[in-house]
Amino acid sequence: MFGFKKIQLISVTLVFVLLSSFTVSNRLMKKMLKEIETTFNAKEVKLISLELNKEQLIIHEKDHFFKIEKNNQLLGYAYLGKAASKTDEFDYLILIDTDLIIKKTKILIYREDYGGEIGSKRWLKQFIGKSAKDELLYEKDIIAISGATISATSMTKAVNAFLKNISILKENKVL
Amino acid sequence: MRNFFILIAFSFSSILVAQTVNNQQNTAQRILSGNINTKGVTVGGYGEITYNRPTGKNAELDVQRLVLLFGYKFDERTQFITEIEFEHVKEVFVEQAFLQYSVSDNLNLRAGLMLVPMGIINEYHEPTTFNGVERPSMDNAIVPSTWREIGVGISGKSNEVSLRYQAYIFNGFQSTISDGNGTITGGKLGGSNGLRGGRQKGAQSNFNNINFSGKLDYYGLPGLRLGLSGYFGRTQSPYDVKDVVGADIGIAMLGLDARYSKKRFSARGQFIQGNLSDTEAYNTATGKDLGSSLQGYYIEAGYNLLSQEKKQQLISFVRYEDFNTQASVAGNLAKNNTYDRQEWTLGLSYKIANGAVVKADYQIKKNAAKVTTNQLNFGVGVWF
Repeated sequence: MFGFKKIQLISVTLVFVLLSSFTVSNRLMKKMLKEIETTFNAKEVKLISLELNKEQLIIHEKDHFFKIEKNNQLLGYAYLGKAASKTDEFDYLILIDTDLIIKKTKILIYREDYGGEIGSKRWLKQFIGKSAKDELLYEKDIIAISGATISATSMTKAVNAFLKNISILKENKVL
Repeated sequence: MRNFFILIAFSFSSILVAQTVNNQQNTAQRILSGNINTKGVTVGGYGEITYNRPTGKNAELDVQRLVLLFGYKFDERTQFITEIEFEHVKEVFVEQAFLQYSVSDNLNLRAGLMLVPMGIINEYHEPTTFNGVERPSMDNAIVPSTWREIGVGISGKSNEVSLRYQAYIFNGFQSTISDGNGTITGGKLGGSNGLRGGRQKGAQSNFNNINFSGKLDYYGLPGLRLGLSGYFGRTQSPYDVKDVVGADIGIAMLGLDARYSKKRFSARGQFIQGNLSDTEAYNTATGKDLGSSLQGYYIEAGYNLLSQEKKQQLISFVRYEDFNTQASVAGNLAKNNTYDRQEWTLGLSYKIANGAVVKADYQIKKNAAKVTTNQLNFGVGVWF
């Protein structure tokens, strides 16, 4: 009985590792690493995928949460997420430091014309410095972008949900 | 290979549970957001159902527009988007149908039936994105929205400088009709509606002169978006009369627009100037009264009366428009004062949910001939 279970577990692991290597494309991974390196001003960082379960995350099924280390020293965390634009989904990245304060947000891949304005550095700057204690409401706390309402609302909601999640993760001592 | 690696340290059972749960959440989210992204298909749409009552007339009830959007994504880079429009229930049009290929993050190639970027409304005309039951009147008479033609071009953006750009080569307006034997029998452009009657909308459209269209949108200042649009070219005419004097006219149109929002306050404005050449010969050949320039502007301010903590919004707004389809005339054409129009619109937009709006407004429409028409409007608008 025990032996059979073990084989089953191993096959599940293999399948999952394969799936997870496909869910983050090379292009996305490159863009994420580049951003991590510039934001934390560190090369050759190690990314450790964090264990997630249903109580502790998750905004979107394809999202990933990484611990960022260099020489076994914790630099911060990276949240790689997907959110809805008008007719598609975009990939965004949230980088937080060891105090769980947002250091940077970036739209890594945006796949349609409509709403692409949310990639504006000026607009994304608004999220820097926010932490779990902040409540982010589009138009009230985050300045609106005319002509990009759907995506800008979507991004604001995603960052807000992320901040709520890290407070839960902190309570559960995962971070 | 770079010097990084990823450690996967998952616990299988919790992952399996999380995935099942999140799949369910996501299906619900998809339905709620209206994006059915399975297998690259997107379904969406927008619609406007209106009540218009001008003074001295009966009210008109109309399913003014019902537009169904379908998108298909062939791969990460290649996308097809189309909008099928039903106007007044029984007229069917294709509003957009284009293929887009994304060369890089900053550059897309497009070809097909596309919207001409001029001013705000022609590109952003979904009913929940503008105040008022009706689109601004100058976005009917000066910018003939929904203005679309078949063409090719590029579009894209730069996040570094917060700039979006579009540049296209389009087919243009059809200006004249002929008997097929070299005689002009009529014109499609005129004094009251300017270029509107000449739109070919991609339906067996006649093409003999290239037109250029472009727009720059700057969104780098918080809450503010600025637009600069241009359209240059000549109208189309049938082959047998294309060299006849007065068969076509030249068009040079420039537009400036601005949108601003801060917390509960919002404002927008637009200025359009269209210069038309050879209109004297055109009017002689066709018996029309087309002006040699079209000009108009509007300004609008709105304020959300509800607290921002609430999901619903109740926006009170006021809009002033001043436009003239005969801002100037060529030759000895006499100006028609009824084309010189000033309009006030006061009303409410009640956004009951994200994507659903109920509207009410009152319009006072004057012209330089001192004729005033008032109009009461109600409408329901959806966008999903």
